Amino acid sequence: MAIIEARGLTKRYGHVLAVDRLSFAVERGQVAGFLGPNGAGKTTTLRMLLGLVRPEAGDAAINGRAYSDLPDPLRQVGAVLEASSFHPGRTARNHLRIEAMVAGIDAARIDVVLDLVGLSEAADRRVRGFSLGMRQRLGLATALLADPEVLILDEPANGLDPEGVRWLRDLVRGLAAEGTAVLISSHILAEVAQTVDSVIIVNHGRVVVQAPIAELTATARLEDVFLGLTANSNGV
Amino acid sequence: MTRLIKGELFKLRTTRLPFGLFAAAAGLSALFSILEASRAGTKSVAPLSTAAGLNNVLTGGVLALLFAAVLGVTISSGEFRHETATTTYLATPKRSRVLIAKSVAGACGGAAFGFAGWLIATGVGLGFVAADGYTAQISDATLARYAAGHIAAGALMAAIGVGIGSLIRAQLAGVLGVFVWAVVIESVIGSMFNSIQPYLPYTAATTLAGSVLGGAAFGPAHGASSSASPLPFAAATALLAAIAIVISAIAARTTVVRDIS
Repeated sequence: MAIIEARGLTKRYGHVLAVDRLSFAVERGQVAGFLGPNGAGKTTTLRMLLGLVRPEAGDAAINGRAYSDLPDPLRQVGAVLEASSFHPGRTARNHLRIEAMVAGIDAARIDVVLDLVGLSEAADRRVRGFSLGMRQRLGLATALLADPEVLILDEPANGLDPEGVRWLRDLVRGLAAEGTAVLISSHILAEVAQTVDSVIIVNHGRVVVQAPIAELTATARLEDVFLGLTANSNGV
Repeated sequence: MTRLIKGELFKLRTTRLPFGLFAAAAGLSALFSILEASRAGTKSVAPLSTAAGLNNVLTGGVLALLFAAVLGVTISSGEFRHETATTTYLATPKRSRVLIAKSVAGACGGAAFGFAGWLIATGVGLGFVAADGYTAQISDATLARYAAGHIAAGALMAAIGVGIGSLIRAQLAGVLGVFVWAVVIESVIGSMFNSIQPYLPYTAATTLAGSVLGGAAFGPAHGASSSASPLPFAAATALLAAIAIVISAIAARTTVVRDIS
């Protein structure tokens, strides 16, 4: 059974149709790559999944319910959407303490996730002084705080060094092996090819293909498949 | 809701801005109280040996109410200034609950601002009275009522500020709006239309805190004689609470439900 579902999601900003009747599903224990060129509607779609943007038509469900109807949503869904969603004057630890407080999560988890993302030594520094990679790691710590069964990650590898990218890949694969569903948006196609089980490619707000990665890359590299599918402005 | 309020209170304690606003409120309350005390008994200003003279000094503490409103504005608009609204609404997708929690947390902070304003102005006033060898002409019961008024007015002004910040979202515009409204618009309207002066929000907050009508106005309107009477304690409290609720309700129906993109 799908744990992440988008059904006919549609969103328009003024005259621009950002997302057009977009549907897909992600199963438990699956890592799905969510790919598309800039302006394809990926971020808007992820935000609709998370209840931050209201769709004009269609709906999205996680575990069968709209995000806004989830009891204790942080316990079910962890999300990394942008690297700047932290108050610059607050320390990493205090940011996580607020999240733990609001979600009713044991404060002992804070040190666990800080250690997991490699931020233990920087935990009591203000976020203002963090690099982009450190902010991404803090975002991941926030997402993992309640050990959720769904992860939604928008460009999580941005700013990470090669070691961090490898660490992220191992983390995602490890979580998926434990049953976590991961939807991951990225432009780093070589990395995506090594990480995901399936790929959803969107263009002009519509899904142009959803298929297992092995099937898509059986005869060509993911990059070539991607460029071939997104070069057609009308979609495939 | 308790967890959410605790989280919002913790947010207040973990950034510098609320402490900076508190220090500004306390510093200006002290400055204005000392200035009022220093000019007591000169020209047409009542001396500190009278209730009116001491009351003028206590008015210096109502400046903290203005900063309580600013605190409220920063609590809600800060989520957009620092782009933390995404994280906040992911943790609590029911946005009206976030607004309520912010109002409660703001009210707690605002109450502390109001109490500090009262404490400083009362300390300055009684200190000058004692130094001049007078006996305070304001009873302990009245001083206690002023303390309650400062606390209630601070809490409600902060709650109003949270609503304004939610409605406007732009922090600088919200903060400037609060100052312009209280310092310029209320002073002008209050001096032109005496009958509605008691119902103006900042004026009502200051009279709730013990100031005479027009006593906390700025510029030529300061201390202008008014034919109207200040609202009774309960009525002023109800008015400010109603304003906070109406502004927050409008925000909850309009800006709060907007897309976070």
